Amino acid sequence: MYGWIWRHLPGNVWVRILISTVLVVGVVFLLFQYVFPWAEPMLPFNDVTVDGAAAPAAGTAPGGLV
Amino acid sequence: MSDGKRESAARAADQGETAETAEEEGGPGPETSGAEASGKGATRTDATGPGTTGPEATGSPEAEPGEGGAEGSEGGAGDSGGGAAGGAEPAGKPEPARKPAPARRGRIAAAVGILGELLITAGLVLALFVVYSLWWTNVLADRQAEKRGDRVREHWAADRGPGDLDTRDGIGFLHVPSMSSDDILVMKGTDPKELNQGIAGYYTEPVKSALPQDQSGNFSLAAHRDGHGAKFHRIDKIDKGDPIVFETKNTWYVYKVFKTLPQTSKYNVDVLDPVPKGSGATKRGRYITLTTCTPVYTSKYRYIVWGELVRTEDVDEDRTPPAELR
Repeated sequence: MYGWIWRHLPGNVWVRILISTVLVVGVVFLLFQYVFPWAEPMLPFNDVTVDGAAAPAAGTAPGGLV
Repeated sequence: MSDGKRESAARAADQGETAETAEEEGGPGPETSGAEASGKGATRTDATGPGTTGPEATGSPEAEPGEGGAEGSEGGAGDSGGGAAGGAEPAGKPEPARKPAPARRGRIAAAVGILGELLITAGLVLALFVVYSLWWTNVLADRQAEKRGDRVREHWAADRGPGDLDTRDGIGFLHVPSMSSDDILVMKGTDPKELNQGIAGYYTEPVKSALPQDQSGNFSLAAHRDGHGAKFHRIDKIDKGDPIVFETKNTWYVYKVFKTLPQTSKYNVDVLDPVPKGSGATKRGRYITLTTCTPVYTSKYRYIVWGELVRTEDVDEDRTPPAELR
């Protein structure tokens, strides 16, 4: 997969390294900006209030809704 | 063994091209020796018949075509050399017997290689998620909280808004010296969108919080333990007797912690009652309750700290903090 991408990038090694870096940064940006904020409320790590019903992750929390 | 073969092949064939092929083989993945062997097979057949490079390459398993293609494009001049060397190559003999098995193994090897890369990618994404939730959300939340806090203080300084009831940007600041040297902005509500901005919120549900200025009741707050500012991260450092000070526009409310509950169910809403259950308090009074999740990095249980109002102090012109904060 990565080898395939690498072989299909244009230019010499340095240009490829540059393009790869840009691609990696782009992917990290998309993850941080859109994917993680979307996924976070569904994960049971950041639920700070008492009462599951008022909490964001109530649906996914073990034990379900109160 | 394959190394030795490769060396002899390198000696026999055109130096530059074979070295490149070897690099290509080592580069994309040391997946398995199967891939290597079949890759070699493909290279060899190329060498014996330069004209068949195209179809041969597409016929061989996925990982290989690139190699063949790269070879073809890079070694335009080398190809004929390879052809000549192939004719002279002594290792051409064992090839026909080996050929069918490596092709199948090569396909499996390629699949395993792709699976491996996907798993590595998944691992990296999960690691990035940890970085995101424990570091990046803090950066964002602290930035936002600071901006909002500044706005509240500006409002106070400009004497706009209806005094203690100015709740749009926040009702005041929480100071807990034993937990954190920051002042924590407090806003209405425990909606995660708000709490994610690096603030503490007072409960509006399931049990409506009292406000500090109320003559009796429980001022109940929640904030994040990790990520999003992690304002209550060190809540476990609060001991019985420690001060909690709430600052509003005109008043310092000085509370004293009288009970901590290191672990309780997240469904235990009684801790928010006007006379909080489990705190040991029996009669109505002016209480403060801090809630967050515990243990750190999870939301399995809730950590509760209760305090009771000791005294209030009017804010003077310099906003001199009460003795507990000095």
